[in-house]
Amino acid sequence: MSIAQQLAEVRRQLDGACDRLTAPSPASLDACAHDLESAIGQLSAFRPNPGDAQALEQAWHVQRSFLRARKLMESAAEFHENWARVRGAISGGYTATGEAASIVHQGRICLQA
Amino acid sequence: MSNLLASLLSSAGTLEAYGQVLETAQNNVANANTPGYAKQRMDLYALPFDPSGGATGGVRAGKLETARNEYAEAAVWQQNTAMGYQEQLVNSLTPLQSRFDITGNQGLPYALNKLFQSFSAWATTPNSEATKQTVLNQAQALAESFRQTSVALGAQATDAENEIHQTVDTINQLVGKLANYNQIALQGNKDDAGLSSQMHATLDELSQYADVHAHFETDGTVSITLNGQTPLLLEAKQYQITANLAMPQDPPPTYPSAPASMHVYGSDGSDITGKTTGGQLGALLQVRNQTLASFIGDATQPGDLNRMARQFADRVNQVLTSGNVSDGPPAVSGVPLFTYDATNDAGVAQTLAVDPSVTTSQLATIDPGPPYVSNGIPLALSQMATPLQDADKIDGVSYSQFYGQLAGRVGTALNDATDGQQVQQSLLAQAKDLRQQYSGVSLDEEATILIQFQRAYQANSRFITVLDQLTQSAIDLLK
Repeated sequence: MSIAQQLAEVRRQLDGACDRLTAPSPASLDACAHDLESAIGQLSAFRPNPGDAQALEQAWHVQRSFLRARKLMESAAEFHENWARVRGAISGGYTATGEAASIVHQGRICLQA
Repeated sequence: MSNLLASLLSSAGTLEAYGQVLETAQNNVANANTPGYAKQRMDLYALPFDPSGGATGGVRAGKLETARNEYAEAAVWQQNTAMGYQEQLVNSLTPLQSRFDITGNQGLPYALNKLFQSFSAWATTPNSEATKQTVLNQAQALAESFRQTSVALGAQATDAENEIHQTVDTINQLVGKLANYNQIALQGNKDDAGLSSQMHATLDELSQYADVHAHFETDGTVSITLNGQTPLLLEAKQYQITANLAMPQDPPPTYPSAPASMHVYGSDGSDITGKTTGGQLGALLQVRNQTLASFIGDATQPGDLNRMARQFADRVNQVLTSGNVSDGPPAVSGVPLFTYDATNDAGVAQTLAVDPSVTTSQLATIDPGPPYVSNGIPLALSQMATPLQDADKIDGVSYSQFYGQLAGRVGTALNDATDGQQVQQSLLAQAKDLRQQYSGVSLDEEATILIQFQRAYQANSRFITVLDQLTQSAIDLLK
């Protein structure tokens, strides 16, 4: 597989992650993490030849796909973070330092692996 | 006896509450395909149970609350605004880019190149009337090209101004529509789900045009502000915005004859142009007042096209007038070739012309020196193509390179906008998906989901950080 083809494969994985992030759910984020991890694995093993114009073009595409994935991740995280803050403020008011109170989940048990 | 009555009342209230829940469910089914409609949920709350005090417990229906999460709605509007901005940038910059040909086969770079070629030919045969005539012809072609580019950019600015007027009109119309909905809500229809869906659909549309913030009041009306500050709608009262061309007076304009900028005003007359940066309106203001102004000028700048035209004309005229047509005695000096309106720095490109009185016999060929060079003037002029001295450059580069930079600026802005549009499409789809996910979700379910999301983000953010470094390294290694 040529360098350009390797990069095209990384790009495909990142675009897949973007598709998942467009409809973010805990399950799709888990799958997205798998895509990102796989992309990292491929890029870590990457041994490019400087001056390969075709590969460089693919690398730019990879970076663009990555930036899109990052933006989508940030946007979804921000959505939930802000909402948690708003909800905390609505239900618990503000702390002495002026921050929104954290959400209290009364009577709930959360099991985390 | 009183306790028995209380129990009966409690049972009746409970049945009524559950009846309303069923009604809400039926309404959701009936409106499942209505655009802008969000599922509604009836919140029930427990009444205090204290038999000794006559409090018999049971449940009552809370106010009919729409399950639409205003927060998720606002997130969609925010992404709509960003999408409108990027889309409008692409729409406005695409025709602008076509004004800047970079192939060198037409327009300004072509005319510039032909004039430089004619200078070189003149240096080779300095006494040829034909080559001098070619210089005059190519100079006229270059001046014409400057004028055409300036007129075309001016027309583009006019188009943007018209679009700004239209966009402001559309915003006012949509807010007017919402004012009518507010009237209906104030007439006692605040819980009308159909009305609510119409309001939300209109807000969806409005948010593409500008950065609007909506707040639903308890009386069912919606209040709207522009850029979070300028009121557009409060209850049933609409506050219209306007747009006009204006030359700022404070501080006084450095270039008073330059084209005026477009300004947007709130209903109280306050200038809100600087704050209007989102949506289609924000993009149009950006293109008209920043991008186009950087070429054609405004109160604070002459515009790069005018600067280029003036500096080029001045340099050619300076070289020609420093030379002689004949040695004499007495020696006859050369005459300037280009003319323009020197009273208007922002109108140089549009008024640039070759002095019609100049003939081939008045074009200076001799550089009297020292050292004396018989073809020194055309030689000096031809060196402007690949300049070695600062006087032949503009901003430290050749005129062709400078033009390339102008074209590159538009090209880069268009590329960024196209990329931004693609990303924004995904972000808008994401915001709509999140809105859909939360529509009708109970707070208990939501709490569980939030915890799951938090865990997933933590896992992903580590990968994102590593990928950021790896993608940049890949590019650096390939360069």
